[in-house]
Amino acid sequence: MSDSAVALENVSLVFGGDDPRTERVVALDHVSLRVPAGQFVAVVGPSGCGKTTILNMLAGLIRPTLGSVSRNGSEIQGPSRDVGYMLARSALSPWRTARQNVELGLEIRGERKADRRLRATELLAQLRLEGFADAYPSMLSQGMQQRVAIARTLAIDPDLWLLDEPFGALDAQTRLTVQSEFISLWETNPGRTVIFVTHDLEEAVLLADRVVVLTARPGKIKLDAPVPLPRPRVLDELKFDPVFTEIEHRIWKELRDELI
Amino acid sequence: MSSSDPAPPADTGQGATLDTVPESATLWRWRIRQLDLPVQLIRAAVVVGLYFLWSSRALFKGVPITVFGFEPLPEVKDIFYAVPSEVWDYFTAYYHDLLFWKDLWVTVQEAFWGFALGSTAGLLVGLTLGYFRRLQKIFGPFLVFSNAVPKIALAPILILWYGIDMGSKIALATVIVFFLVQMPTTAAVGLVDPDLNILATTMGATQVQRFRKVIIPGIMPAVFGALRLAAIYSMLAVVFGEFLASKRGLGQRLLYSVNQFNMGSAFALMIVLALIALALNGLIGLVERRVLKWQSNREGGQVVSL
Repeated sequence: MSDSAVALENVSLVFGGDDPRTERVVALDHVSLRVPAGQFVAVVGPSGCGKTTILNMLAGLIRPTLGSVSRNGSEIQGPSRDVGYMLARSALSPWRTARQNVELGLEIRGERKADRRLRATELLAQLRLEGFADAYPSMLSQGMQQRVAIARTLAIDPDLWLLDEPFGALDAQTRLTVQSEFISLWETNPGRTVIFVTHDLEEAVLLADRVVVLTARPGKIKLDAPVPLPRPRVLDELKFDPVFTEIEHRIWKELRDELI
Repeated sequence: MSSSDPAPPADTGQGATLDTVPESATLWRWRIRQLDLPVQLIRAAVVVGLYFLWSSRALFKGVPITVFGFEPLPEVKDIFYAVPSEVWDYFTAYYHDLLFWKDLWVTVQEAFWGFALGSTAGLLVGLTLGYFRRLQKIFGPFLVFSNAVPKIALAPILILWYGIDMGSKIALATVIVFFLVQMPTTAAVGLVDPDLNILATTMGATQVQRFRKVIIPGIMPAVFGALRLAAIYSMLAVVFGEFLASKRGLGQRLLYSVNQFNMGSAFALMIVLALIALALNGLIGLVERRVLKWQSNREGGQVVSL
């Protein structure tokens, strides 16, 4: 267990119950998942299956009703300054420029201004946003906003990356571009563990080392499959690679009743 | 751009390179376009039109219609209004009058302090109640009740408590401004994008950091809207207070002028009062433009742009 970067042991989560008039919702039902350090895991499932709940627990926002959630061998007690969590919406502060948004996590950690600036500038450049460092989010396209959000998540150099449908709001074209940039950022930072939530199986297979599929509520693990595709991955080519298609198809056949 | 410039190529898109696209406008051309001349011309025409309508006394002749025995547009007697020339005469007279400037200074101070004290208290209480939901739950109903009291009704009492000098006017303005700022501030805290709060929490932000980096900037648009309104209402409170009982101040001077049927003076003073309110508003606008720089590419939020 101590070799897992992240471990969920028999985790169940029940929402509600305070108010006797509402029904209790079982979001997760005895879910166990161990993720070794440096692995990229995609969690796939229909909406409302508790995917985001898993991320919220790993981020320390909520505690499980039953079972234990641990990181590097110790129980997660609350939010940590070295976990990067990217919400489904880009959640950029409209009053901060792109650079200032990227610096947010570093500010909260109390890092020096010069260091923050350097790190933000570097990340924005890696995401091809050099010219937009001083632009406010309202002036940026959706794809750019999402890239700023990625930069903000990674600015603190977290060893655990939690991503909640980060590319869901993007059009197909932009999506592939941002996915490619993202995956090469991860591939050049070895040792970082990623939990990537999505409802898109193709995206999951394209990016991850391992795909975990949850059932509809209450969420249970339906399938846990490795994705034996080599890295570094060139996404726009991989999409049409027969090996990729075959893996996607194999997983799809097992799941179609859950995902449709 | 001179007439010797080559004519732009026909817009077929064929053979044209980006070099042939005209350079973006020069600074002065851009400025002229920003001015939006048709808007300025129509504004000027409205001002001139109103001026002549006012000078010709046509505005005061009344329209002989009756609605349920009530005349909505009655004829106004000549001694009850002033035409522009009379107003102007009083402006030129006040200009030399030291007492006028003293009155003006008194009113400005009252409005300023009422605004400053009321909005500071309103912001502090508004933020506290917005942030600590429990406190809002406890004290919210009391504030709603206090706010329901027509604040103008407090004026005679405040004059008893604070005397007929500046204190009572500042107190009245403070009370009015307080509620105008507190209510929207409390509401705005609850309306800050919850994602931003969650995000800051996942980043391990302390309460103080969350307050400084999410809540305070998040409520600024609402706060400035409230402050602009509060500035105008601060003037209103002060003028009303001076009407009721005062030794000095433009409101007092205005009431005195009307009682003397000195309409030129009354009209002139109304214009001065409006100018003071606009100046207060303009000062807030200056701060707003700095604080809400990120909104500058959006429309709205501007009360006056001359």
